[in-house]
Amino acid sequence: MHKRRSHHRFGALAAALLAAAVLAGCAAPARQVAATGDDTATPVAGGTLRFGVLDAPANLDPHSGSSYPESLITSNVTDKLIYQNPKTGALEPWLAKSWEYNDTLTQFTFHLRDDVTFSDGTKFTADSVKENFDLLGRGDKALGVVPVTAYWVGYRNTDVLDPLTVRVSFDRPSAGFPQALSLYFSGIVGHSTLLLPKEQRSLAQNVVGTGPFTLGEHVYQQKTVLKKRPGYHWAPASLKHNGEAYLDTVEIDVIPEAGVRTGALRAGTVDAILDVNNTDEAPLSAQGYRIVPQLIPGRDISLDLKTDRFPTDDAAVRQAVRLGWSRDALVKTVLTSSYKVSTSVVSQRVPGYVDFSADLREDQGRAEQLLEADGWHKGSDGIRVKDGRRLQLDLLGIDNLVNNKPAYQLIQQDLRKIGIDLQLNVLPIPDYTAASTQQGRWNIQVANQSRADIAVLEQMYSPQYGNIAKLTPGTPVADEAIAKLSALSRTLDPGLRAKAAEEAQRFLLDEQVLTVPVYNPAQVTAVSPKVHNVGYEAQSRNVFYDTWIDPR
Amino acid sequence: MPVLRYVAAKFAQALFVVWGAYTVTFALLYVLPYDAVDVLFDPSQGDLLTAGDKHDARVYYGLDRSLFGQYAHRLGAAIHGDFGRSTRTGQDAWSMIVGTLPQTALLAVTALVLAVLLAAVVALVAAYTQRRWLAEFFATLPAAGVSVPVFLVGLAVLQVFSFRLGWFPPIGNDGPATLVLPAVTLAIPVAAPIARLLLENLDSGLHAGYVTVSLAKGATRLWVLVREVLRNAALPALTIAGVTFGNLLAGAVIVETVFSRSGLGRLTQTAVRTQDVAVVQGAVVLAALVFVIVNLVVDLIYPLLDPRLRTRLNTRSPA
Repeated sequence: MHKRRSHHRFGALAAALLAAAVLAGCAAPARQVAATGDDTATPVAGGTLRFGVLDAPANLDPHSGSSYPESLITSNVTDKLIYQNPKTGALEPWLAKSWEYNDTLTQFTFHLRDDVTFSDGTKFTADSVKENFDLLGRGDKALGVVPVTAYWVGYRNTDVLDPLTVRVSFDRPSAGFPQALSLYFSGIVGHSTLLLPKEQRSLAQNVVGTGPFTLGEHVYQQKTVLKKRPGYHWAPASLKHNGEAYLDTVEIDVIPEAGVRTGALRAGTVDAILDVNNTDEAPLSAQGYRIVPQLIPGRDISLDLKTDRFPTDDAAVRQAVRLGWSRDALVKTVLTSSYKVSTSVVSQRVPGYVDFSADLREDQGRAEQLLEADGWHKGSDGIRVKDGRRLQLDLLGIDNLVNNKPAYQLIQQDLRKIGIDLQLNVLPIPDYTAASTQQGRWNIQVANQSRADIAVLEQMYSPQYGNIAKLTPGTPVADEAIAKLSALSRTLDPGLRAKAAEEAQRFLLDEQVLTVPVYNPAQVTAVSPKVHNVGYEAQSRNVFYDTWIDPR
Repeated sequence: MPVLRYVAAKFAQALFVVWGAYTVTFALLYVLPYDAVDVLFDPSQGDLLTAGDKHDARVYYGLDRSLFGQYAHRLGAAIHGDFGRSTRTGQDAWSMIVGTLPQTALLAVTALVLAVLLAAVVALVAAYTQRRWLAEFFATLPAAGVSVPVFLVGLAVLQVFSFRLGWFPPIGNDGPATLVLPAVTLAIPVAAPIARLLLENLDSGLHAGYVTVSLAKGATRLWVLVREVLRNAALPALTIAGVTFGNLLAGAVIVETVFSRSGLGRLTQTAVRTQDVAVVQGAVVLAALVFVIVNLVVDLIYPLLDPRLRTRLNTRSPA
């Protein structure tokens, strides 16, 4: 009876909800329903999980498919040498039983399990690792494969010491390497897949892995089916069980419309959905669906300020962008409790994270003082002017996360009050990719980077690599950046690394204000009560290995 | 043979349109201010790829040739049905397109049949009824049909018939049950222009001299409407087949997205969004092909239906 009435109410509100979806956040804060019973109930094997996602997986090559649904699928189909515990951030054995490295962090030796096979029946050996790493580290011109540069900088080669031992060498210290091996990019694929040219490697029928699921039917833009791999027994020890996955099949359904995704979950057409709209979190949880969020570890959604373009080349302007907007308002009006406002440039889930919330506070008075002292005076339209040039900042962002646009709009309104004209260009991924190559066009670029290792900062900000703040090479600031960021790659000693991590964050956030972090994005899954243990791996990709479903 | 010459000319025109569509798409895609290589990679990787990596990718995809060289090479292959592989999925672009075609064709044909029925009912009721308010109400329906967004109609019918009543599955394209709601949704905007045209022609037809004569001879209003006026009014409806086809394709993009169906519309939309050149070109050529075939058939049928055109063709024949 009660259920009927609530359905009726939703029918009537359908159109209104549509409009409200854009406004976001006026809903009451989502009630976090604890995963009651999940850990104590006895899992039952069998059944199909239908899982709704927003974006269509296209490229199923584990080494290059990087969109969320793509990496979600490949995370379940391939295993990695090392497992990163999503709760503790610790690195644990997986296909590698153990590993050691030299003092300079240029050589890493891995001892492999000897009982692992690929889904085509071939055995996993040291040669498999070498083949995979050579392709990841160097690419292959003839096959059209480019190296996964970001994580493999300085890769020299992999030596097969014996059938179950490999040694990987770099031409520079690479402290982030072991963690990089736990990323979905580093999934080990079979020999037959690696021989194929780039396009053919991305086809479902060609992907051979060692994972708990194999790829079945794949209809682009409609569904992808994962099938249980019989005989699987090499799961990381910290997962909830070992042996085969519980589910017989997982069907990943592409449902582009947010309202339809939620509706399909309520109607029982699907058992769980990803990409839950902010406005749907509270109503769904009130109806008994579990909302399962996980913060994405790595670099938060962060306003990266370019130092090679007027007026973000001015330190006072960068300071003003840090001080000039209200993080409290962001929490109240845009984010749900699944998300967190940034307290550093990296997520609190990254080992080495330091809380900088005392520095990341709104102080519009101070911001205005800094701008005045620097010669920026308000013009007739309320926007500040210095030497006849307006204080206009061009921002380039991606619209792939539901909170991005509303968050930037809030910052835009606040900054306008202190005389900064923030121009928003928030684009779909391909347009963003293309636009980001326009050198000297943007003052601010915003994106997040999921990687649960502090080395993510060197990867993005060091003038030797990403140099997203566009520091001019050879200047003292650039040299300091290189020194402070490369320190992250030179040690795996927990104490030394934590110190280097703190210095790197302070340099980026306080000393130079090269970036102004906004919020920590999260993956949010809504799950029917009959589905248990929908989890995430460390980079917040859903894993279905421990998932089970009440018998129908 | 003038008739043969007429047919040949129409064929030549059709070929020219398809070639033109291919060439214009090629030009548009390559004059975009973007480097095709840049959009091949993850945004977070973009800045980290070396110039050497980008060059290798450029060579691999044949983007290092001159623009004309690429055009000639791709056109040559396209004539043989090879549009290359999708940069997103790695599948052969033409097979992807041909693979989704049946889904969209089924949706479009079902929607078109529904639309014609709907349009005929609306127009006939509006023209037939003597009650002014009813006539006016039905006459405003076509305008309403085009002005309500397909998107909203789709979500509304989903909400009622799928989520609330549970009569039809909300997503996918497996089986006839999944076709009903999308087809109805798509039929509404497609029916609107047909209904409006039909209604206008019925109206002017009813006021024509021959109708007055028929009515004076004792024919009923319905008999005149159906047997005489509708027949004459239906002819011009044929000419808007092209427009209707355009409506069907445009509507399919939205309907396929709302109802989570794989199909040509959604495939094309995604390809444009992700700059998947091979798929975009294949889809444009296919659309042009269908468009010219529809028009060709109309052009070829027209002389059969319209005696005036037939006479003109014949008088040009040598004695």
